[in-house]
Amino acid sequence: MNQKLNVVLMACRQAVPDPSLLINPLEHAGLKARVIQEPCSSKVEVFQMLRTLASDADLLWVVGCPEPACQLVEGSFRMAKRVGHAQEYLREIGLEPERLGMTQLPANNQEALAATVKEILERARTLGPNPARVGVSVEKE
Amino acid sequence: MIVGTRKPLAEIQDMVKKYDRLLLAGCDTCVAECASGGRREVAELAAALQMAFRLAGKEMDIQEASVDRQCVHEFLLDVVEAAQETDAVLSLACGAGVQALADRLPETPVFPALNTLFIGETAQRGLWLENCRGCGNCMLGLTGGICPVSRCAKSLLNGPCGGARNGLCEINLAKEITPEVPCAWLQIYDRLAALGELDRLLELTPPKDWSCGDASGPRRVVREDQQA
Repeated sequence: MNQKLNVVLMACRQAVPDPSLLINPLEHAGLKARVIQEPCSSKVEVFQMLRTLASDADLLWVVGCPEPACQLVEGSFRMAKRVGHAQEYLREIGLEPERLGMTQLPANNQEALAATVKEILERARTLGPNPARVGVSVEKE
Repeated sequence: MIVGTRKPLAEIQDMVKKYDRLLLAGCDTCVAECASGGRREVAELAAALQMAFRLAGKEMDIQEASVDRQCVHEFLLDVVEAAQETDAVLSLACGAGVQALADRLPETPVFPALNTLFIGETAQRGLWLENCRGCGNCMLGLTGGICPVSRCAKSLLNGPCGGARNGLCEINLAKEITPEVPCAWLQIYDRLAALGELDRLLELTPPKDWSCGDASGPRRVVREDQQA
Protein backbone atom coordinates (compact mmCIF):
# COMPACT_ATOMS: atom_id res chain seq x y z
CA MET A 1 0.00 0.00 0.00
CA ASN A 2 1.31 3.39 -0.90
CA GLN A 3 -1.13 5.77 0.75
CA LYS A 4 -0.51 9.48 0.96
CA LEU A 5 0.63 10.79 4.31
CA ASN A 6 -2.26 12.51 6.04
CA VAL A 7 -1.65 15.85 7.74
CA VAL A 8 -4.36 17.41 9.88
CA LEU A 9 -4.06 21.06 10.86
CA MET A 10 -6.06 22.70 13.61
CA ALA A 11 -5.76 26.38 12.84
CA CYS A 12 -6.93 29.59 14.42
CA ARG A 13 -9.11 31.59 11.99
CA GLN A 14 -7.19 34.75 12.73
CA ALA A 15 -3.82 33.18 12.03
CA VAL A 16 -5.02 31.31 8.93
CA PRO A 17 -8.02 33.14 7.41
CA ASP A 18 -7.65 31.20 4.15
CA PRO A 19 -6.95 27.48 4.81
CA SER A 20 -6.27 26.83 1.12
CA LEU A 21 -2.96 28.65 1.55
CA LEU A 22 -1.88 25.73 3.74
CA ILE A 23 -3.76 22.91 2.04
CA ASN A 24 -2.75 23.60 -1.56
CA PRO A 25 1.05 23.59 -1.21
CA LEU A 26 0.91 20.50 1.02
CA GLU A 27 -1.30 18.63 -1.47
CA HIS A 28 0.86 19.72 -4.39
CA ALA A 29 3.78 18.19 -2.55
CA GLY A 30 1.97 14.86 -2.40
CA LEU A 31 0.39 14.92 1.06
CA LYS A 32 -3.24 14.65 2.01
CA ALA A 33 -4.10 17.73 4.07
CA ARG A 34 -7.12 18.89 6.03
CA VAL A 35 -7.56 22.09 8.01
CA ILE A 36 -9.96 22.24 10.96
CA GLN A 37 -10.67 25.90 11.58
CA GLU A 38 -10.82 27.01 15.19
CA PRO A 39 -12.06 30.27 16.69
CA CYS A 40 -8.77 30.30 18.61
CA SER A 41 -5.99 27.74 18.93
CA SER A 42 -6.75 27.53 22.66
CA LYS A 43 -9.99 25.77 21.74
CA VAL A 44 -7.98 22.70 20.78
CA GLU A 45 -8.13 20.24 23.65
CA VAL A 46 -5.61 17.53 24.47
CA PHE A 47 -8.16 14.79 23.91
CA GLN A 48 -8.90 16.17 20.43
CA MET A 49 -5.23 16.06 19.54
CA LEU A 50 -4.86 12.49 20.80
CA ARG A 51 -8.07 11.33 19.14
CA THR A 52 -6.97 12.81 15.82
CA LEU A 53 -3.64 11.02 16.00
CA ALA A 54 -5.40 7.80 17.03
CA SER A 55 -7.89 7.97 14.19
CA ASP A 56 -6.52 9.42 10.98
CA ALA A 57 -3.50 11.73 11.23
CA ASP A 58 0.07 10.82 10.45
CA LEU A 59 1.01 14.31 11.53
CA LEU A 60 -1.05 16.84 13.48
CA TRP A 61 -0.19 20.53 13.46
CA VAL A 62 -1.77 23.23 15.60
CA VAL A 63 -1.52 26.77 14.25
CA GLY A 64 -2.16 29.81 16.42
CA CYS A 65 -1.27 33.47 16.44
CA PRO A 66 1.90 34.81 18.03
CA GLU A 67 1.22 35.18 21.75
CA PRO A 68 1.10 39.01 21.81
CA ALA A 69 -1.34 39.00 18.88
CA CYS A 70 -3.85 36.53 20.32
CA GLN A 71 -7.34 38.05 20.34
CA LEU A 72 -8.21 36.02 23.43
CA VAL A 73 -5.06 37.37 25.11
CA GLU A 74 -3.67 34.10 26.44
CA GLY A 75 -5.07 31.67 23.87
CA SER A 76 -1.77 30.96 22.11
CA PHE A 77 -0.02 30.62 25.45
CA ARG A 78 -2.56 28.01 26.55
CA MET A 79 -2.35 26.23 23.22
CA ALA A 80 1.43 25.87 23.62
CA LYS A 81 0.96 24.42 27.11
CA ARG A 82 -1.62 21.93 25.86
CA VAL A 83 0.52 20.86 22.95
CA GLY A 84 3.35 20.26 25.44
CA HIS A 85 1.05 18.18 27.63
CA ALA A 86 -0.17 16.14 24.66
CA GLN A 87 3.43 15.56 23.57
CA GLU A 88 4.21 14.20 27.05
CA TYR A 89 1.32 11.79 26.59
CA LEU A 90 2.73 10.72 23.20
CA ARG A 91 6.07 9.93 24.85
CA GLU A 92 4.25 7.70 27.35
CA ILE A 93 2.39 6.01 24.54
CA GLY A 94 5.66 5.31 22.76
CA LEU A 95 4.87 7.49 19.76
CA GLU A 96 7.16 10.23 18.50
CA PRO A 97 6.09 13.53 20.12
CA GLU A 98 7.15 15.21 16.88
CA ARG A 99 3.95 13.87 15.31
CA LEU A 100 2.31 16.79 17.02
CA GLY A 101 3.70 20.13 15.92
CA MET A 102 2.72 23.72 16.40
CA THR A 103 3.37 27.11 14.89
CA GLN A 104 2.51 30.58 16.05
CA LEU A 105 1.92 32.24 12.73
CA PRO A 106 1.49 35.97 12.12
CA ALA A 107 -1.60 36.55 9.95
CA ASN A 108 -0.94 37.43 6.29
CA ASN A 109 2.79 36.78 6.57
CA GLN A 110 3.60 34.83 3.38
CA GLU A 111 7.20 34.10 4.39
CA ALA A 112 6.19 32.60 7.72
CA LEU A 113 3.43 30.61 6.01
CA ALA A 114 5.88 29.18 3.47
CA ALA A 115 8.31 28.30 6.26
CA THR A 116 5.52 26.49 8.15
CA VAL A 117 4.54 24.52 5.04
CA LYS A 118 8.17 23.55 4.52
CA GLU A 119 8.53 22.46 8.14
CA ILE A 120 5.34 20.38 7.98
CA LEU A 121 6.43 18.72 4.74
CA GLU A 122 9.85 17.82 6.09
CA ARG A 123 8.41 16.53 9.37
CA ALA A 124 5.78 14.39 7.64
CA ARG A 125 8.31 12.85 5.28
CA THR A 126 10.82 12.21 8.05
CA LEU A 127 8.29 10.51 10.34
CA GLY A 128 6.32 8.63 7.69
CA PRO A 129 3.06 6.79 8.50
CA ASN A 130 1.77 6.92 12.05
CA PRO A 131 1.85 3.32 13.35
CA ALA A 132 -0.65 4.15 16.11
CA ARG A 133 -3.48 5.31 13.90
CA VAL A 134 -6.31 3.19 12.59
CA GLY A 135 -5.33 0.89 9.75
CA VAL A 136 -1.61 1.59 9.63
CA SER A 137 -0.22 -1.05 11.95
CA VAL A 138 -1.39 -3.84 9.63
CA GLU A 139 0.51 -2.41 6.67
CA LYS A 140 4.02 -3.33 7.67
CA GLU A 141 6.46 -4.10 4.83
CA MET B 1 -12.64 17.94 46.89
CA ILE B 2 -10.74 14.72 46.40
CA VAL B 3 -7.54 15.23 44.43
CA GLY B 4 -5.95 12.51 42.36
CA THR B 5 -3.48 12.05 39.53
CA ARG B 6 -3.40 9.63 36.65
CA LYS B 7 -1.27 6.54 37.05
CA PRO B 8 1.54 6.09 34.52
CA LEU B 9 0.15 4.84 31.21
CA ALA B 10 2.35 1.73 31.30
CA GLU B 11 0.89 0.71 34.67
CA ILE B 12 -2.66 1.20 33.41
CA GLN B 13 -1.91 -0.69 30.23
CA ASP B 14 -0.45 -3.57 32.19
CA MET B 15 -3.57 -3.83 34.39
CA VAL B 16 -5.98 -4.20 31.48
CA LYS B 17 -3.89 -5.85 28.78
CA LYS B 18 -5.62 -9.23 29.04
CA TYR B 19 -9.01 -7.78 28.11
CA ASP B 20 -10.40 -6.94 24.67
CA ARG B 21 -13.32 -4.66 25.53
CA LEU B 22 -12.79 -1.89 28.02
CA LEU B 23 -15.05 0.75 29.52
CA LEU B 24 -13.42 3.94 30.79
CA ALA B 25 -15.58 5.50 33.48
CA GLY B 26 -15.01 9.10 34.49
CA CYS B 27 -16.36 11.15 37.36
CA ASP B 28 -17.35 14.74 36.66
CA THR B 29 -17.02 16.16 40.15
CA CYS B 30 -13.78 16.26 42.19
CA VAL B 31 -11.42 14.55 39.77
CA ALA B 32 -12.79 16.63 36.90
CA GLU B 33 -11.93 19.78 38.85
CA CYS B 34 -8.37 18.58 39.33
CA ALA B 35 -8.17 17.59 35.65
CA SER B 36 -7.48 13.92 36.21
CA GLY B 37 -10.74 12.00 35.84
CA GLY B 38 -13.47 14.02 34.13
CA ARG B 39 -14.87 13.34 30.68
CA ARG B 40 -11.98 15.17 28.99
CA GLU B 41 -9.44 13.02 30.77
CA VAL B 42 -11.48 9.92 29.92
CA ALA B 43 -11.30 10.89 26.26
CA GLU B 44 -7.54 11.54 26.51
CA LEU B 45 -6.86 8.22 28.18
CA ALA B 46 -9.11 6.33 25.75
CA ALA B 47 -7.20 7.69 22.76
CA ALA B 48 -3.86 7.15 24.48
CA LEU B 49 -4.65 3.54 25.36
CA GLN B 50 -5.96 2.93 21.86
CA MET B 51 -2.64 4.08 20.42
CA ALA B 52 -0.48 2.33 23.02
CA PHE B 53 -2.24 -1.00 22.46
CA ARG B 54 -2.11 -0.53 18.70
CA LEU B 55 1.66 -0.06 18.91
CA ALA B 56 1.75 -3.29 20.92
CA GLY B 57 -0.15 -5.04 18.13
CA LYS B 58 -3.55 -5.17 19.78
CA GLU B 59 -6.79 -3.49 18.70
CA MET B 60 -8.66 -2.66 21.91
CA ASP B 61 -12.39 -1.88 21.92
CA ILE B 62 -12.66 1.10 24.27
CA GLN B 63 -15.93 2.74 25.31
CA GLU B 64 -16.27 5.92 27.34
CA ALA B 65 -18.76 6.97 30.00
CA SER B 66 -18.83 9.64 32.67
CA VAL B 67 -21.18 10.28 35.55
CA ASP B 68 -21.68 13.20 37.88
CA ARG B 69 -20.55 11.32 40.97
CA GLN B 70 -19.12 7.83 40.88
CA CYS B 71 -19.25 7.56 44.68
CA VAL B 72 -23.07 7.72 44.74
CA HIS B 73 -24.84 4.57 43.64
CA GLU B 74 -27.82 6.37 42.11
CA PHE B 75 -25.51 8.07 39.62
CA LEU B 76 -23.97 4.81 38.43
CA LEU B 77 -26.85 3.40 36.41
CA ASP B 78 -25.51 4.44 33.00
CA VAL B 79 -22.04 3.12 33.70
CA VAL B 80 -23.36 -0.15 35.08
CA GLU B 81 -25.44 -0.60 31.94
CA ALA B 82 -22.52 0.25 29.63
CA ALA B 83 -20.29 -2.13 31.55
CA GLN B 84 -22.47 -5.10 30.57
CA GLU B 85 -20.92 -4.94 27.09
CA THR B 86 -17.30 -4.88 28.26
CA ASP B 87 -14.75 -7.24 29.77
CA ALA B 88 -13.41 -4.78 32.35
CA VAL B 89 -13.87 -1.25 33.63
CA LEU B 90 -11.15 1.30 34.15
CA SER B 91 -12.35 3.93 36.57
CA LEU B 92 -10.96 7.46 36.60
CA ALA B 93 -12.70 8.27 39.88
CA CYS B 94 -11.17 8.50 43.33
CA GLY B 95 -10.79 5.33 45.38
CA ALA B 96 -14.31 5.73 46.76
CA GLY B 97 -15.74 5.92 43.25
CA VAL B 98 -13.80 2.87 42.10
CA GLN B 99 -15.14 0.86 45.01
CA ALA B 100 -18.71 2.04 44.56
CA LEU B 101 -18.53 0.96 40.95
CA ALA B 102 -16.94 -2.39 41.82
CA ASP B 103 -19.72 -2.94 44.35
CA ARG B 104 -22.27 -2.48 41.59
CA LEU B 105 -20.40 -4.74 39.16
CA PRO B 106 -19.79 -8.00 41.04
CA GLU B 107 -18.93 -9.92 37.86
CA THR B 108 -16.81 -7.31 36.11
CA PRO B 109 -13.22 -6.44 37.07
CA VAL B 110 -12.84 -2.75 37.94
CA PHE B 111 -9.41 -1.10 37.93
CA PRO B 112 -8.22 2.32 39.13
CA ALA B 113 -6.67 4.66 36.59
CA LEU B 114 -5.84 7.26 39.23
CA ASN B 115 -3.88 7.47 42.43
CA THR B 116 -6.10 9.21 44.96
CA LEU B 117 -4.03 11.70 46.94
CA PHE B 118 -5.83 14.04 49.31
CA ILE B 119 -8.69 16.38 50.19
CA GLY B 120 -7.61 19.65 48.70
CA GLU B 121 -8.23 23.08 47.36
CA THR B 122 -7.74 24.51 43.89
CA ALA B 123 -5.23 27.19 44.90
CA GLN B 124 -4.68 28.47 41.38
CA ARG B 125 -4.99 27.14 37.85
CA GLY B 126 -3.05 23.88 37.77
CA LEU B 127 -2.18 23.89 41.48
CA TRP B 128 -4.01 21.80 44.07
CA LEU B 129 -3.02 21.82 47.72
CA GLU B 130 -3.66 19.33 50.50
CA ASN B 131 -5.69 21.29 53.02
CA CYS B 132 -7.54 18.61 54.96
CA ARG B 133 -6.63 15.17 56.23
CA GLY B 134 -10.07 14.27 57.48
CA CYS B 135 -8.77 13.94 61.04
CA GLY B 136 -12.31 13.82 62.41
CA ASN B 137 -11.76 16.54 65.00
CA CYS B 138 -11.51 19.88 63.23
CA MET B 139 -9.47 22.58 64.97
CA LEU B 140 -9.73 25.28 62.29
CA GLY B 141 -11.69 27.44 64.74
CA LEU B 142 -8.60 27.71 66.90
CA THR B 143 -6.13 28.33 64.13
CA GLY B 144 -7.69 31.07 62.07
CA GLY B 145 -9.01 28.74 59.39
CA ILE B 146 -5.59 27.31 58.53
CA CYS B 147 -5.14 23.61 59.23
CA PRO B 148 -1.87 22.67 60.95
CA VAL B 149 -2.70 18.96 60.70
CA SER B 150 -2.54 18.99 56.89
CA ARG B 151 -0.47 22.09 56.13
CA CYS B 152 2.28 21.77 58.75
CA ALA B 153 4.75 19.10 57.61
CA LYS B 154 4.93 17.83 61.19
CA SER B 155 1.22 18.26 61.89
CA LEU B 156 2.17 20.23 65.00
CA LEU B 157 -0.78 21.25 67.14
CA ASN B 158 1.29 23.94 68.88
CA GLY B 159 3.76 25.48 66.48
CA PRO B 160 5.86 26.59 64.84
CA CYS B 161 8.84 24.28 65.14
CA GLY B 162 12.38 25.61 64.97
CA GLY B 163 12.80 24.84 61.29
CA ALA B 164 10.91 27.72 59.71
CA ARG B 165 13.06 30.16 57.71
CA ASN B 166 11.81 33.38 56.11
CA GLY B 167 8.24 32.25 56.44
CA LEU B 168 8.93 28.93 54.75
CA CYS B 169 8.75 25.36 56.01
CA GLU B 170 12.07 23.57 56.30
CA ILE B 171 10.96 20.86 53.88
CA ASN B 172 11.88 23.34 51.12
CA LEU B 173 15.52 22.73 52.07
CA ALA B 174 15.26 19.00 51.44
CA LYS B 175 13.91 19.22 47.90
CA GLU B 176 12.97 21.82 45.34
CA ILE B 177 9.28 22.60 45.61
CA THR B 178 7.53 25.14 43.39
CA PRO B 179 5.82 27.15 44.72
CA GLU B 180 7.63 26.85 48.05
CA VAL B 181 5.71 25.50 51.04
CA PRO B 182 4.99 28.21 53.60
CA CYS B 183 5.20 27.57 57.34
CA ALA B 184 1.56 26.92 58.28
CA TRP B 185 2.13 28.12 61.82
CA LEU B 186 3.50 31.46 60.66
CA GLN B 187 0.45 31.74 58.40
CA ILE B 188 -1.73 30.99 61.43
CA TYR B 189 0.09 33.65 63.44
CA ASP B 190 -0.26 36.27 60.68
CA ARG B 191 -3.92 35.44 60.18
CA LEU B 192 -4.78 35.64 63.88
CA ALA B 193 -2.76 38.86 64.21
CA ALA B 194 -4.74 40.39 61.35
CA LEU B 195 -7.98 39.30 63.05
CA GLY B 196 -6.82 40.68 66.39
CA GLU B 197 -7.16 37.23 67.93
CA LEU B 198 -3.60 36.34 68.85
CA ASP B 199 -4.80 35.46 72.33
CA ARG B 200 -6.03 32.18 70.87
CA LEU B 201 -2.41 31.07 70.69
CA LEU B 202 -1.99 31.46 74.44
CA GLU B 203 -3.99 28.30 74.95
CA LEU B 204 -2.06 25.11 74.42
CA THR B 205 -3.82 22.48 72.36
CA PRO B 206 -3.78 19.10 74.13
CA PRO B 207 -2.69 15.92 72.35
CA LYS B 208 -5.08 15.07 69.58
CA ASP B 209 -7.52 12.19 69.78
CA TRP B 210 -6.56 10.38 66.61
CA SER B 211 -9.24 7.73 67.18
CA CYS B 212 -11.59 10.18 65.43
CA GLY B 213 -9.29 9.98 62.41
CA ASP B 214 -7.99 6.99 60.52
CA ALA B 215 -6.39 5.36 63.55
CA SER B 216 -9.36 3.27 64.58
CA GLY B 217 -10.36 1.37 61.50
CA PRO B 218 -12.83 2.29 58.75
CA ARG B 219 -14.99 5.21 59.76
CA ARG B 220 -18.65 5.58 59.02
CA VAL B 221 -21.38 8.15 59.45
CA VAL B 222 -24.89 7.01 60.24
CA ARG B 223 -27.84 9.39 59.89
CA GLU B 224 -31.05 7.61 60.64
CA ASP B 225 -33.13 10.57 59.51
CA GLN B 226 -31.60 10.19 56.05
CA GLN B 227 -32.10 6.46 55.79
CA ALA B 228 -34.89 4.75 53.88
